[in-house]
Amino acid sequence: MTHPPLVLRLLEALRRLPGVGPKSAQRMAFHLLERDREGALRLSLALQEALEGVGRCRRCHNLSEGELCPICSNERRDGQVVCVVESPADVQALEQSTGFQGRYFVLGGHLSPLDGVGPDELGLEQLAAQVAEGEVQEVIIATNPTVEGEATAHYISELLAASGARITRLAHGVPLGGELEYVDSGTLSRAFHGRREVQ
Amino acid sequence: MGHADDPLLPGFVLHRTPFRESSLLLEVFTPSGRLGLVARGGRGKRSRIAAIVQPFVPLWLSWTGQGDLATLAHVELRPPPLSLTGRALFTAFYVNELLLRLTSRHDPQPELFEHYQWLLWQLVAGAEEWTLRRFEVVLLAELGYGLLLHCDGDGRPLRPDSRYCYHLERGPLPLQGEAPCPLTISGETLLALDGHSPPQLGAEREAKRLLRAVIHHHLGGRPLRSRELFRQMFVRHTDQGE
Repeated sequence: MTHPPLVLRLLEALRRLPGVGPKSAQRMAFHLLERDREGALRLSLALQEALEGVGRCRRCHNLSEGELCPICSNERRDGQVVCVVESPADVQALEQSTGFQGRYFVLGGHLSPLDGVGPDELGLEQLAAQVAEGEVQEVIIATNPTVEGEATAHYISELLAASGARITRLAHGVPLGGELEYVDSGTLSRAFHGRREVQ
Repeated sequence: MGHADDPLLPGFVLHRTPFRESSLLLEVFTPSGRLGLVARGGRGKRSRIAAIVQPFVPLWLSWTGQGDLATLAHVELRPPPLSLTGRALFTAFYVNELLLRLTSRHDPQPELFEHYQWLLWQLVAGAEEWTLRRFEVVLLAELGYGLLLHCDGDGRPLRPDSRYCYHLERGPLPLQGEAPCPLTISGETLLALDGHSPPQLGAEREAKRLLRAVIHHHLGGRPLRSRELFRQMFVRHTDQGE
């Protein structure tokens, strides 16, 4: 089946989204063009405005409309604790589940020596400069529990070793509600070695 | 070529990259050599294998299909677990990059696999730089780029008390008076690299210079990214980088 050129262009554009293949792209395009032209217009405007208006926060590198994101510009957040994460999605996850009141630093990935992702790509010098200003008392490293996340955590801890700030790392443990028998052995061994006093 | 019911082979993931929506593209190293495998559904919340198909995790593997890219059929942990941290982790990344850059796919390397595995355990145990140098010597030898370490370029036995000029194509030749040489090295260090004797004072530095030059030559001059990272990280503290 052949589509008019403009529809083809729309299909191609939709396929850039994660999880959208040719079939889904066609379904979306037909839905917008046949049933919801008003919604389509809203979508295109929202997309354009977001692209023009959303950049990176100067301090934490999270997505932000202004120079500083809402978290960084919030006076009540504790500037003495900084939590380092890999992506903006990690900020959302921590905000929803931890009650953390400090600030963040978003790396936008992890060190991946074989892919050429080094400290410069992650903005680690800026992180070091912020910590060197002296206000930060604790840096919580919350990179993913992968080999690359581990390497990134190690690099950051070396980088900040001389700053005097306390450097901590998220604990690794058995998932709540899980059964030991089904926990993968890497997690189990970490949880075992990282055991603590019963309180 | 692999079948789903083939016996599981020991292996390690050297590198992984996201592939399509939820899969991973793995570059694995097994006694049958290096190969590319697609791990279907290897990413995402529900993935059973995401936690284990990582570099430096000892695995049992099987795969199906032939050609350049096979499909991962089965994977499980191969105890005991190997836990690399800190500096050793960065050295291990460097070794993985060497294997990726210098080996070719589907070229069986049972000996090299054993050496790789041995090296990782040595790194866990806090191995010294010399262990890495010995691994590089074995790696080059297994790939057919072996260094000449027991005799000079003219076939004469090396003398531990002599100094040599190492030519990348011809091997070590006795130093001639004042003739300029970019790569001088003692006979003692060459013999130690061959495994005949323990390294003497200063051997590590000489050996590192030699192997860096030889590896650089075989990589066609393209720099190693993990070495650059290593340098940024550790050279600030010490000059003993990888």
